[in-house]
Amino acid sequence: MIIQRLLRFLPGILLAMALNQVPGLAQVTYQRLLRADSEPANWLTYSGNYQSHRYSQLNQVNRQNVAQLKPAWVYQIRQAGVVETTPIVADGVMYITEPPSTVTALDVSTGRPLWTYSPSIPADVIAIGSPFGQVNRGVAILDDTVFVGTVHSHLVALDAKSGAVRWDTVVADNKLGYWLTLAPLALDGKIIAGVSGAEAGIRGFVDAYDAKTGERLWRTWTVPAPGEPGSETWAGDSWKTGGGSTWLTGSFDPELNLLYWATGNPAPDWNADERPGDNLYTCALLALDPRDGKMKWYFQFTPHDTHDWDANQIPVLFDAAINGRQRKLVTVANRNAFYYVLDRETGEFISGTPYAKQTWAEGLDAKGRPILRPGMDPSVEGTLVYPYVGGPANWHSPTYSPQTKLFYQAVREVGAFYLKGEADYKPGLAFVGGGQRALTGDDAYGAVRAMDATTGQMKWEFKLQSPPVAGLLSTAGGLVFGGTEEGNFFALDAESGRPLWDIQLGGGIRSGPISIAVDGKQYVVISAGFALFVFGLP
Amino acid sequence: MVTVQRVRAGILPCLLLAASTLAAAQSPSDVEQGRRLYDGMCVTCHGFDGAGGEAPSLSRPMSHTDETLKSIIGNGIPNRGMPRVRRFTDNEVLQLVSYVRSLGRVASVSLPGNAERGGEVYRRQGCTSCHMVNGNGSSLGPELTGIGALRAPQHLKQALADPGAVLPRGTLPIPARAYFEYLPVLVVTEDGREVRGMRINEDTFTIQLRDAGNRFHTFRKSNLRRIEKETGKSLMPSYRDRLTAAETDDLVAYLSSLRGAK
Repeated sequence: MIIQRLLRFLPGILLAMALNQVPGLAQVTYQRLLRADSEPANWLTYSGNYQSHRYSQLNQVNRQNVAQLKPAWVYQIRQAGVVETTPIVADGVMYITEPPSTVTALDVSTGRPLWTYSPSIPADVIAIGSPFGQVNRGVAILDDTVFVGTVHSHLVALDAKSGAVRWDTVVADNKLGYWLTLAPLALDGKIIAGVSGAEAGIRGFVDAYDAKTGERLWRTWTVPAPGEPGSETWAGDSWKTGGGSTWLTGSFDPELNLLYWATGNPAPDWNADERPGDNLYTCALLALDPRDGKMKWYFQFTPHDTHDWDANQIPVLFDAAINGRQRKLVTVANRNAFYYVLDRETGEFISGTPYAKQTWAEGLDAKGRPILRPGMDPSVEGTLVYPYVGGPANWHSPTYSPQTKLFYQAVREVGAFYLKGEADYKPGLAFVGGGQRALTGDDAYGAVRAMDATTGQMKWEFKLQSPPVAGLLSTAGGLVFGGTEEGNFFALDAESGRPLWDIQLGGGIRSGPISIAVDGKQYVVISAGFALFVFGLP
Repeated sequence: MVTVQRVRAGILPCLLLAASTLAAAQSPSDVEQGRRLYDGMCVTCHGFDGAGGEAPSLSRPMSHTDETLKSIIGNGIPNRGMPRVRRFTDNEVLQLVSYVRSLGRVASVSLPGNAERGGEVYRRQGCTSCHMVNGNGSSLGPELTGIGALRAPQHLKQALADPGAVLPRGTLPIPARAYFEYLPVLVVTEDGREVRGMRINEDTFTIQLRDAGNRFHTFRKSNLRRIEKETGKSLMPSYRDRLTAAETDDLVAYLSSLRGAK
């Protein structure tokens, strides 16, 4: 009997073995990543596609029936902490990260775990700069390998079927304050990663690693060394501890073959006495050649930042007509409260519009450089400035809907007294030089704002009780999904902002929603509190 | 943050006095050293002077002993985002603990009033119908068993005269930190019914109130015609004209003497 059964399954087993041996049939190829939009049942890369639209083509859940959404399954994380993960879903498996740097593969139809990987993290790991502690935002997948960055500053490649370690590369020295929280970005044969740590005075960089071996292919520093272009914007040795973290996943244009990666604040954050100058290339968007990491152009949003206005927001790529001419655009709702529209071939500034309350700039000049209001720097007694340190936008994802041509951003309306303190660099310790006293509680609020993506003009807003930390998802069903700090997960009409559905999930939402399909049925996925929730129609 | 600043104005002059009554390890210079360490490591999340920010306010020092604070700093709170801090020497951790323990701590100072007589005023004025001390009284207003350690006499005096001006923030786990607590809210339902009460909690879609009769109400905001937040007001009446100056001093002395469960 056993032999008969084996014989019955033999053709299938042989076929499976054959498939595994054909590299061209590996699980998630670069070709599939390029065409992520064409398989909306899966969610193959952090922002849904290389253009970072965080938009789902699925329309089974729509304005008419979204109010019927019900939980399909819930996964409770293993070690309590803040869940910032965006799941990757490929071929029936959901890959999530759990705090601090654990990867878990789940059966997408039941939520049952298939494998889990937890790196061994030293007890004295240094993780300075995150208000939510040791977090992770997700994995990347390429072929049959899953990639994760860790809080102790490793990049680890795991077998997608078992979680077994294929390679484990040290990205940088955690003792100096380098750590990884971002979801890496998988390109053709290479994995792009960036680092956190400006609050510990690191010198930032963007790295590319060989996906097969873990060998580093190139490194592009975000703070130039003496003699390099841009070094004239730093004084003395300040470049050595200049910050410029690269802690959020970038975007990619395969046609232009350009990688768009944002950089963080200069260090120390709030005391700039030792770093006069523009402090290139901090608080900027970099366009890099993925072959060698060479910078094709940069655009600095906040020269000589003194407010910790990182530019680590998601760069969104789309094409649109501006003044009658079709342009390739990259747009960013920046932490400094301006919405920027740039030409993504050249970096040329096209427009910049405030999308939240700001009191620090009169506006932007013709090249997009802020026209500063005097007296807005941090001070010993405190200087009231809008926006607060966290910014109206931060790492939480915006979404762009090709259907409505709107850019949706979860906005935080908060001011703060900026305080200047002493900054004394000691390796592995906080190097910030001040802080803030934010006007929170009843003095603050949040909103989901829909803006004309090419101009930044606001079309509608939906007010939120408090400043959100949750990203947004738009769908072809005419919906925008978002979440609140109080645990509300909700759907809005993408055209009008009218609320159509909400549910209380019992814990703050600090991640971005995605949508997938299993056996032809659409689901919406979000984490809240210490759990991951999957919703579908009854 | 207005409330916090007002509270601090009352607390700061007492800080050195408070420190001097602490153990030998907690000298004024230790508190000052601790403040420096705090400003370098903790201020980004917990705010200046422990006023709170992304992380909670630290103005309730009674909640923790030195040992538990040392443990929290050394081990973190994994389910709340508080990281482990293991790069301080033992002495530095003690200094940090000294500073954090000094936050929001009000020292016993000599006051013009008489606490015993103040207790009489408290009972005569019917304060127990809204406030609870050591388990006795009603739970409508703030529980006062430890109020003397949390609030300076000047603050208590102001709270009696103008309760709406000093609504606390960050003293309760709910609502979320930094929201006004005991904030009066008037809601009008779609069918015209009015309910006035203190906000207990609120999110984008719902609001929870407790009315003057201590009854809970919950509403979906989409079912309300109007939500009026009465910022600067309180359900507690002003006692400015109800008490003589001497009675006020006595009542403040009594409240200041309430320094924790007996």
